[in-house]
Amino acid sequence: MRVNGRPVPFDPRDPQLAATRLLDVLRDRLGLTGSKEGCGVGECGACAVLIDGRSACSCLVLTGQVAGNEITTVEGLADRGHGDLQAAFVRHHAVQCGYCIPGVLTSCAALLERNATPQRDDVTTALGGNLCRCTGYQRFTDAVCDVAAARRGAAPADDGDGDGDGPVGAVGSANSDGQRAGGS
Amino acid sequence: MTTPDTAGTPPRNWVGRSRPAVEGAEIVTGELVYVTDRRVPGMLHAVVVRSTVPHAEIRRLDTSAATALPGVVAVLTAADVPVNALGPREVDGPVLCKTVVRQVGDAIALVAAEDAATAAAAAAMVTVDLEPLPVVDGPDAALDPASPQLHSVGNIAGRIAFASGDVEAALAGADLVLRRTVHTPAQEHLALETPGGMAIWADGKVTIWCGSQNPGLHQRKVARALDIETSAVRMIAGPVGGAFGARNDDPVPVHLAVLAHATGRPVHLHLTREEVMTAGTKRHPFTTSIDIGFDRSGQIVASQVIAVADTGPVITSGPNVLKTSAEMSTGPYRFPMASFSGTVVYSNNSNNGAFRGYGVPQVAFAVENALTEAAAELGIDPVEIRLRNVLRGGDPHSLYRHRTTDSLQVETTLRTAAAHPLWTDRQGWQAAGDGLWRRGTGLACAMKGVGMGSGTGDVARARLEIDATGAVTIWAGPNHTGQSIQTTYEQIAADALGLPIDAIEVRVGDTDFVPESGPTAASRSTYAGGGAVTRACAELRETCARLGLPLATDPAGTGEKLVELGSAAVEAEFFLPSTEDIGLIPADQLATYGPHRVYGACTQVVRVEVNIRTGELRVPDLLSVVDCGTAINPAATIGQAEGGALQGLGLAVMEEHRLVDGVPVTTNLENYLAPTIADAPHMQTVLISGHEDTGPYGAKGMSEVVVVPAPPALAAAVLDAVGVLPDRLPVTPERMLTWLEEQPCG
Ligand code: FES
Ligand code: FES
Repeated sequence: MRVNGRPVPFDPRDPQLAATRLLDVLRDRLGLTGSKEGCGVGECGACAVLIDGRSACSCLVLTGQVAGNEITTVEGLADRGHGDLQAAFVRHHAVQCGYCIPGVLTSCAALLERNATPQRDDVTTALGGNLCRCTGYQRFTDAVCDVAAARRGAAPADDGDGDGDGPVGAVGSANSDGQRAGGS
Repeated sequence: MTTPDTAGTPPRNWVGRSRPAVEGAEIVTGELVYVTDRRVPGMLHAVVVRSTVPHAEIRRLDTSAATALPGVVAVLTAADVPVNALGPREVDGPVLCKTVVRQVGDAIALVAAEDAATAAAAAAMVTVDLEPLPVVDGPDAALDPASPQLHSVGNIAGRIAFASGDVEAALAGADLVLRRTVHTPAQEHLALETPGGMAIWADGKVTIWCGSQNPGLHQRKVARALDIETSAVRMIAGPVGGAFGARNDDPVPVHLAVLAHATGRPVHLHLTREEVMTAGTKRHPFTTSIDIGFDRSGQIVASQVIAVADTGPVITSGPNVLKTSAEMSTGPYRFPMASFSGTVVYSNNSNNGAFRGYGVPQVAFAVENALTEAAAELGIDPVEIRLRNVLRGGDPHSLYRHRTTDSLQVETTLRTAAAHPLWTDRQGWQAAGDGLWRRGTGLACAMKGVGMGSGTGDVARARLEIDATGAVTIWAGPNHTGQSIQTTYEQIAADALGLPIDAIEVRVGDTDFVPESGPTAASRSTYAGGGAVTRACAELRETCARLGLPLATDPAGTGEKLVELGSAAVEAEFFLPSTEDIGLIPADQLATYGPHRVYGACTQVVRVEVNIRTGELRVPDLLSVVDCGTAINPAATIGQAEGGALQGLGLAVMEEHRLVDGVPVTTNLENYLAPTIADAPHMQTVLISGHEDTGPYGAKGMSEVVVVPAPPALAAAVLDAVGVLPDRLPVTPERMLTWLEEQPCG
């Protein structure tokens, strides 16, 4: 078993470890607390990690089941080439409390690894198992589509939601203040 | 309030600019250590033993087997808590139940062990002999004199009533009178991080890392329970994964402190989702009745609202929630006469507490539905009927007659929404619907007070210190729970001081450093906390001006000099301004009603598609138009609007915490539905430009009011689509089908 490109310093087939949830081994044994527990029953996606490149809920996986596999957690996404995705989430203001974000990013990374030209619907499907209670989700989609376009060398169009974050890097510029209608 | 300025106003570089959250980089890499991520060597693992029944007498509690289990360090019961109370009143409830349990999930014992598995095994070995008592399963039972009384004061947790005249007499003269009752459910906060954290007892002092929207209050609760000085309690309230009101009333910081105090070891506790869905607070379920009269032109003549709310076994925020309901029972409308009467009762249902919107969504659903129905009855456009009644800035409030802020722009939000393509194209969009999926568009508006209200002594504080390199640290509250309040405070401070933003660091949520600032609640963080930051900055500038120090051009030299002079630190306060004219409210009862001076407003437009065979709903689009004064960080403000609108929509179409005879049924995410990305509409947000004179750089709060219009806007859209106006939330497919059967559409 390798986690974030490195072999783990224990035997994942040891009976006690093998029967422990992957999430607990990551958090308690390896100190990788980026993966979160939001429900423990596979319904929120806060614990999502990549297992051989595919997104899975680590609260539903026993360590023994992945003893020979390659695990990537949020802490390993940059090394796997997804630093641009992480940066896009910050730039698109897709992050509020952030507790869902490790799982959300992992699911998005899995999508981008199998589909270089995702449409908005593809992001919706990929994130169907990731609950976020703070945002309205659409900035996640904006960020993913933005990154996919940038990786292809294209500039995305404005998504028209009023936050002016369509064109790459527009957020933070003076014209992105969202204030349109005149008042007072 | 403007920045007093003696040396020229620094340019506004940051206020009004979208700035990504300061902690964003740590979040996306997984480095940010949330309170429940914290681990230290030698820490104990804790588990709470809870009641499995809604109401029972504790006959016997035997912890001997659990205590004897190897690896168990402590099994604590009520007798082990120095002062077994979560607040000064009996109705605040105990830390641990001693003689009686009053809800499923009530805490009975705390177990701490060397590892989590041992703690769980020991918890299962605690024997609790419960003798069931009759269950008070809601307001009807609570108000029945034959029912058990849950507290020495009885089953009524609070009442509030006010009338500005004889409403019944006024209604007799109206052209149209609607008398309607609506039901809104208990809603789960569902902050993604479940409650928990760590506590350490060392050198006579307890430090608690646990989410809190009111670290000062939790500090006092812990001090009371342990019978120690508040100075011996340090609350570190973040980082935390969401709150939405749930971390106002949470007993977990007290449980952690009691465990650390008793064991002398670091203790870790992290509740499961099932625990918090069973034992944690919810939004108060309400039954709200409205009698409202209109003249032929659609002008409101008078209204009377009667609300009954269920707060569960302990008081938490019940009466205060009802106070906000009373104030907002006249909606964002101006009319001559109104009354409100509200009752909040105790029951053996799940405890209900503060939740974003705080009593407003419940009454707004009744008021806005009535406006929607009256428009249809009188043949008036839904926007037009609202404009004919709209409350304008400076107008007297319809219930209390106090003066409202000049910055209130309900009207502009309405006009802006009405000019938006989602509204202007509604007929074309409806006509393009196909067969089974009927389309409709609905609109609703709302306002909500900012801060705790007049007469409540609402105050926020900030402390600022400059060091010899010119770097500024600001300790301010209210605390951050996901809205990136530090980023907002940094933007305010950078502009107020005329310094580069990188020279400023903001710290929140630590009672050892942040002066008492009250709760992260009532849409007050930006407004009141930002106000305190502005004042602290102004004070530093005044000091510099007095001493002739060039802060903006030579921050390092200035810092060095100030440190040398012992003048490097300042502290400032922001007092929530009371309304200028308190109207009909007797001066000695101002805090009882807590009318606001400052209000934010929001109009939302919702598109819905209803499947007339299955009753399913789809919501493809939602528009929010928000009156928030100056948006200090517009993208963050829009993020709040999007998330808030989705929580409102969740309440409208799917979220309902259900119980049967006091036993919670929806205790996990498999049977409690909340919006996923597939349920989220495409959202557009427009921020109306405006300026609230009493707020920092003209800002006022907005993150609660955006929850409010979504349910009635959704209901209006359903009416437009299929001709029935839902009077009960959420609008589930089953309910939709029942309504369609009762009133088939063509
Ligand atoms: S914690 Fe694994 S899905 Fe929720
Ligand atoms: S950002 Fe808080 S849960 Fe997603």
